[in-house]
Amino acid sequence: MSGAGFRSRSSAAVSLLVPLALVAIVTLVGASGTPSFQGTVTLILCNLIVVLGLQVFVGNSGVYSFGQLGFATAGAYITALLTLPPAFALLQTPGLPPLIADAQLGPLLATLIAAAIAGLLAVVVGLPLMRTSTLAIPISTFAFLVVVYNVAANWDRVTGGSSGLVSIPTTTSVESAGLWAAAAVVLAIAFKWSASGYRLQATREDEVAARSIGIGVMRERLIAFGISGVLCGIGGALAVHQSGVLNPTTFYFGATVTTLTMLVVGGARSVLGAVVGAIAIATVNEMLRGLENGADLFGAVSVGPAPGLAAIGLGLILLATMIAMPHGLSGGREAGELPWIRRLGLPATALPPGTSGVVAGRTTGDPVEKGVLRAEGITLAFSGLRVLRDLDLELAPGEALGLIGPNGAGKTTLVNVLSGFQAPDSGAVTLDGVDVTGRTPTRLARDGLGRTFQASLPFPHLTALESVAVGAMGIGVGRRRAATVAADVLSRLNLLGQAALPAGSLTPAGQRLLGVARALATHPRYLLLDEPAAGLNEVECGELVQILRDVIEDFGCGILLIEHEMSIVMELCPRIQVLDDGATLCEGTPEEVQADPAVVEAYLGSAFLAAADA
Amino acid sequence: MGMMNFAHGEFIMLAAYALYVFAGLPFPAAVASALLTGIAIALLAERVAFRPVRSADLSTQLVTSLAVAAILQNVVMVAVDARGQSVATPASLSESTTIGGISVPNLEFVTLGLTAIVLAGLGWLLYRTRTGLAMRAAAENFDMARLLGVRADRVIAISFAISGALAAAVGVLIVMQTGQVTPTMGLTPVLIGFVAVVIGGFGRMFGAVIGGLLLGALSSLLGAYLPDGLAPFRDAIVFTFPVLILIFRPHGLLGGEIGKARV
Amino acid sequence: MLELREIRVSYGRTEVVHGVDISVGRGEAVGMIGPNGAGKSSILRSICGLVRPSGGEAVFEHRVLTGLAPEQIARLGLAMVPEGRHVFKTLTVAENLRLGAHSDSEVAARIEPTLERFPILRERADQRADRLSGGEQQQLAIARALLGRPKLLILDEPSLGLAPKTIDLIYELLEALRDEGMTMLLVEQNAARTIAFSDRCVVLGAGRVRAQGSREELQRDPGVLRTYLGRQP
Repeated sequence: MSGAGFRSRSSAAVSLLVPLALVAIVTLVGASGTPSFQGTVTLILCNLIVVLGLQVFVGNSGVYSFGQLGFATAGAYITALLTLPPAFALLQTPGLPPLIADAQLGPLLATLIAAAIAGLLAVVVGLPLMRTSTLAIPISTFAFLVVVYNVAANWDRVTGGSSGLVSIPTTTSVESAGLWAAAAVVLAIAFKWSASGYRLQATREDEVAARSIGIGVMRERLIAFGISGVLCGIGGALAVHQSGVLNPTTFYFGATVTTLTMLVVGGARSVLGAVVGAIAIATVNEMLRGLENGADLFGAVSVGPAPGLAAIGLGLILLATMIAMPHGLSGGREAGELPWIRRLGLPATALPPGTSGVVAGRTTGDPVEKGVLRAEGITLAFSGLRVLRDLDLELAPGEALGLIGPNGAGKTTLVNVLSGFQAPDSGAVTLDGVDVTGRTPTRLARDGLGRTFQASLPFPHLTALESVAVGAMGIGVGRRRAATVAADVLSRLNLLGQAALPAGSLTPAGQRLLGVARALATHPRYLLLDEPAAGLNEVECGELVQILRDVIEDFGCGILLIEHEMSIVMELCPRIQVLDDGATLCEGTPEEVQADPAVVEAYLGSAFLAAADA
Repeated sequence: MGMMNFAHGEFIMLAAYALYVFAGLPFPAAVASALLTGIAIALLAERVAFRPVRSADLSTQLVTSLAVAAILQNVVMVAVDARGQSVATPASLSESTTIGGISVPNLEFVTLGLTAIVLAGLGWLLYRTRTGLAMRAAAENFDMARLLGVRADRVIAISFAISGALAAAVGVLIVMQTGQVTPTMGLTPVLIGFVAVVIGGFGRMFGAVIGGLLLGALSSLLGAYLPDGLAPFRDAIVFTFPVLILIFRPHGLLGGEIGKARV
Repeated sequence: MLELREIRVSYGRTEVVHGVDISVGRGEAVGMIGPNGAGKSSILRSICGLVRPSGGEAVFEHRVLTGLAPEQIARLGLAMVPEGRHVFKTLTVAENLRLGAHSDSEVAARIEPTLERFPILRERADQRADRLSGGEQQQLAIARALLGRPKLLILDEPSLGLAPKTIDLIYELLEALRDEGMTMLLVEQNAARTIAFSDRCVVLGAGRVRAQGSREELQRDPGVLRTYLGRQP
């Protein structure tokens, strides 16, 4: 978990130790207080575990789930039922099978079982839920929360119905809660920095781009959902072993709002945010609860008993955060990434040794076979208008083909068809002889097809190095290797110096190059570039040409270049294909194309023909 | 307008509580005050909470509505009581009228009548007035409407006011049916509403109506035919059903665009 | 009538328009051409208020437009027909038109001459707008914009996605408008048509003005060919 080169040892250490230190402080403070204070702090730590569970899913995927506390409920009930002394079990839950009712497991074992079952439940529930569209997940998870509540409240004979369960063994101490919380912190960070965590974060940053580098969105979300379920189950189980009572409303709407507030106020994207938010909001909550019982403010104003005041206060805090500070207190950064840490002079990344000149081959290690990317007879129409008309195209590895033409000619649409984002009405795309028409972008990325997008925003909240490395991780490369590959690619593109900066802070030219780098990290045999030079000045254009030349030589891939910046196309591409109105107008060398009157006419009209020849 | 709004349930709840607070007044006056409350709260929420995040991403807006809902719910808990209160409804409502040999509770008439009036009024507003035209245009393509001179703030405020009025109607109906108000009563209608919209497809009013009807029908069917042992789980089953639909048709039964067109 | 001074437009940290000066005089038809990504649409969006320029200002008849909301700018007399037409598909033709003017009385006063100019809309008045063909939708968008009696008509790629014959028809309509003295700012990918249509054309490339002038002036300007084809004549 050193970060495999994505961050320096010191940065990683800080990111890990600061939240752990916070947990330790809270635990120690709690342990030194009265028993009732200890109980309060224990519950805060349990809440923290649930919030970390939320962070793992919501923070990394960018998708809100309102159902995670359903897993806390599940975990709580399971551990409660497993640890209830048989006498009580008989009384409260007559419907339980004797095997469970008679069992009285130790709390540790029961908690572990509860966590496992909660995780399993999360996977089972997540399988259908993660298949729904991104905007439907909040609703469907909310429905799940309500379903869990319903089951718990109505299955009287097993769950004790709406009155719930009592006399649950109260065995959670502050120290044990602290240990569990620490473990949860470690798990959350480990996941975030794992290959799966990176892939999930890529879907958060840019779902379309993530698909184009081979990431399975549903799969990554499901993994995080499952881990989140486990953590929430643990939190619920521990909490119930502290309070000794449980009913369906314990982890329902109010708790959902509270834990979400904690996560959001702290900053959902980072584990530090989850910890800070949980502690801060819990503290505010306790203070407000104190006011609820009636108090004299500053000895002057008297506030009467008002249960619910705390919740109002939290709601106001959440609202204010959404309006003024949507990224929370931590801004979504881990401790080691905070600006003032960098000012202390700690290095931000440690790149793996021997990064230059390493050409990481494709995972299979096969030499580049002779093959070709071919499109034949591609036709596509949108609402009656034919956008592509019987188009043919051929690209071989090691070749550079330029694709130019006036706008609306269909260049980007053709690239969309080649890369699987759009299916043609007729015609076929073959990759090295295999018909790949209609394959998904994810699959095509793994088959060796990479592409960039016109509006290229390379994962703004990841560092440049991470943004590019995710490209490799998308096709299944492990973290360490991915970091090496990324560093290598970045150095070729003269971006190595900015490897540690957030991708969103690079110059526009840099960001475009980063998009190219990310596609290169998937080691494509065919690279489709959609206007990579937009916004570059003359010097940068020249550099780009040289970079692309080197890429062709070192990687052996074929490049299809859509560009309006003619200087690049003419210099780099020995062969150019001109599109106009969905069909090929002409094909040839740069000189031939420039001299072809039909091309001039397509762009500028016949009036210019006369002038050009004059 | 293409956005989920947790707070809507709380608008319903607050309007219902207005009925409770003004129970001393003659019934029509109490209903009017409920209506005004719903509208006022909705407008207030729009101005204070939703307008600042109007251009933020959908997740932020979603959480904002959650915050508003939580605040409203707890304000009522503090101001009144966390427990439910009973509300006296006019005696005439609990009586029945006999039509052609069938005894129908008066309440059903009122419910039907109110629903009909509301739907008719909404239809009139949306399809016969210039304001309604502007609202429909803005709902389809907000930017384009603005380019034509439609005042954004006004249109949004009006649609919030309308939703407040609708919420009030729902609240009044619920009170008349159950005779009770509780701070958490807003949750279930919201869930049903969301789920209905999801089933019917986002952005289509008819879809939402159909979705709601489907849910209601399913709920009744289950109520009638579920074996006794499973009866308490009716709600659970009802809410699992839309998720199944979402799996096979991620854009809702009738399809529709999530989010809106932008120029 | 309309003056853009040193306009800069950025999306996030990316600046796509690097200080552009354009002016449109009363009664003039000015065209803006250039390759994709040159910034043409961004400039139009910044004029009509959908995007706030990151630098410079737009002035319309001595009123500063920068910072105003789109609906305020529209009510000052600036009508924009955006790229892709954007007619309201769920509304009828008549309803679309009704939204063009700012009050129903205005609609009543102006509808007849408009329907004369666009007879196909009279025919289709009660049909939903999504039943119209691309060319008819474009006519609807233009008619809708005209109903507001704009002082300046801005069109973003009116020929996009239309068949050549339809484009001819649309340009006939636009030429008639131009000849009647309507002030127009036209953005097009189709450079040929735009140059033929406009009194004056501005050639944009990579966020800057590369060339400006009448048709004759542009034909003599090597910068134009270079912007499009990278050719050094």
